[in-house]
Amino acid sequence: MTGLSTVLVSLSPEASLQAGPPRTLRPKNFELGHAFGPPNRPDLQRQVLRDALQLLKTPMEPATLVEREYPA
Amino acid sequence: MPAKLSRKCIPYTPFRKELREATLAIVSMAGVHLTSQPPFDLESDTSYRVIPGGAATTDLMVTHEHYDHQDASRDPNIMFPLDRARELAADGFIAGVNNKHYSLGYAQDLRAIYDQVAPEIADALYQSQTDIVLLTAG
Repeated sequence: MTGLSTVLVSLSPEASLQAGPPRTLRPKNFELGHAFGPPNRPDLQRQVLRDALQLLKTPMEPATLVEREYPA
Repeated sequence: MPAKLSRKCIPYTPFRKELREATLAIVSMAGVHLTSQPPFDLESDTSYRVIPGGAATTDLMVTHEHYDHQDASRDPNIMFPLDRARELAADGFIAGVNNKHYSLGYAQDLRAIYDQVAPEIADALYQSQTDIVLLTAG
């Protein structure tokens, strides 16, 4: 087994980083429970998703946390 | 005494394909499930629900007491972006979504998740077409 490539989107990295995720995207200004942004904002949600998946192609040390700000 | 794998090891698998060739699966602990599926136990639940890759988001609901899911109930994509993933596939950003996605609720028994549930889901994903996994927390 060679493993699965994973990326986490988390609004509370203080809690989730304890589990040792290999790659984490933290959207900085979303409320808890809105990991991909506000409801009914598909463009913004797609952007967050693209950014999260892009981390899989971004050279980084394991357990890196990337923070990004999005329009509220 | 033989050296053991450190508990601080980070499971990092490099992704060698291009995103446009990748099949995506979502694994979430946000309490999302189909309205036709049993809800999660709000106290603690280590079970998971399989969400078909073609599921209608209007058939999804949230059972979880540890975050304000009012908006997620209206638009599950904000915690379980299945429509958004399918749109990225239609655009060619990724190749597609897996036929099965995995959803859990609020779990207190993290030992059971670590020892049994996560390996079971990982195994299922590994047997599938999935190349990349998006994790979302509660």
